[in-house]
Amino acid sequence: MAAGNPIDPIHQFEISKIADIQIGGLDLSFTNSSLFMVFALSTTVMLFLVGLSRRSIIPNRMQMLSELSYNFIANMLRDQVGDQGRAYFPFIFSLFMFIFFCNFIGLIPYTFTVTSHLIVTFAFAGLIFIAVTIIGFVKNGLGYLRIFYPSGIPIFLAPLIVPIEIISYLSKPISLSVRLCANMLAGHSILKIFAGFTVMLGFLGFAPLIFLVVLYALETLIAALQAYIFTILTCIYLNDALHPDH
Amino acid sequence: MKIPIKIFILLLSSHTVFAAEGQGSAGLPQMDITTFPSQLFWLVITFAILYIFMWRVVIPKLSTTIEERKDKISNDINEAEKFNSEATSILEKYEEQMSSASQSASDIISESKSQMNDYFENLKLENEKKIAEMIRNSQKMIKLREKDSINEVRNATLETVKEITIKYLDKIPNDDQILKKLN
Repeated sequence: MAAGNPIDPIHQFEISKIADIQIGGLDLSFTNSSLFMVFALSTTVMLFLVGLSRRSIIPNRMQMLSELSYNFIANMLRDQVGDQGRAYFPFIFSLFMFIFFCNFIGLIPYTFTVTSHLIVTFAFAGLIFIAVTIIGFVKNGLGYLRIFYPSGIPIFLAPLIVPIEIISYLSKPISLSVRLCANMLAGHSILKIFAGFTVMLGFLGFAPLIFLVVLYALETLIAALQAYIFTILTCIYLNDALHPDH
Repeated sequence: MKIPIKIFILLLSSHTVFAAEGQGSAGLPQMDITTFPSQLFWLVITFAILYIFMWRVVIPKLSTTIEERKDKISNDINEAEKFNSEATSILEKYEEQMSSASQSASDIISESKSQMNDYFENLKLENEKKIAEMIRNSQKMIKLREKDSINEVRNATLETVKEITIKYLDKIPNDDQILKKLN
């Protein structure tokens, strides 16, 4: 689709099969999306394998990098959830590294952004939502329902507050997934459009090129920021599940 | 002002092109549900591998490294504090010794000063005694000489008076008479 159009901003999000795999009537082909998931995975693995290869008391650069990311997420989890959050640290850490590298690899021209697909972000958000709900009920029993009725609210406001709280609770996975996906989608589309202008305008292309450079810096920031936001919101939801009394 | 207009036009044209060409397909690739099973499948596989890698390899190693470093740092700090306290105690001991040494030095100085004073005092007393003895002896001698000389003078006077009287009176007076006259 639109192969002849140099500035079709949507083309980069298309999924193309690399190896056709059909299992039980389901299309589980290895696609470019899968390839970049593997890239994100292998980049993370490489970072930590190199960082951990020569462990020493005084760290070298790669060890420093892996320790910085470890401490960053560990501190985030401790600040948001406290010591009960320790059990969920591997998940939170993996989540951050995976989304971070998906976002960053997607910024390289001619690559594919895994997190620009709503189904991927929604899979994460849905998993988090279900897990948080289960954790909430397991840890607090039916007392978890208190999150729908915050303490200190007069009883006559309950018919108003409780539905609002339920709706806001149910919309958490949607907002979480759409935020990440829409940021990636919009950012990469705009980058592509400006890159297209730069080519199309020839000599005058320097003007959109300047915009492109500025936008690219902004998108780099957003790539890191959205990974951070996704992770910290997960921590906040987890904290709500562990401590439903606000 | 020119650029935003261009963007708008180009956006519009790209969208119309996209809409025209994408009529057959589902529009946005994100909305193509036929790709969902594959994406979910590979997401689960890659994320599961990542999770297990993080859980089993990265986190234990990193946490032990960080713990080791913390231990090492706190050990080093403890050791440094120990050395510091040792150094402080040595310094205290040194100062103590210094003050006791200076104390004994000043004791020795004052003692020898007093000894010196005593010695001089004794020497002075002894010498004064000697001098007094010598003075007394001299005074005795002076008294003796005085008596002697008085006797000599009297005898000489008597002799002289006798000689004179013999010459002029041919009579020798006795000593008592002369002395009576003289006195």
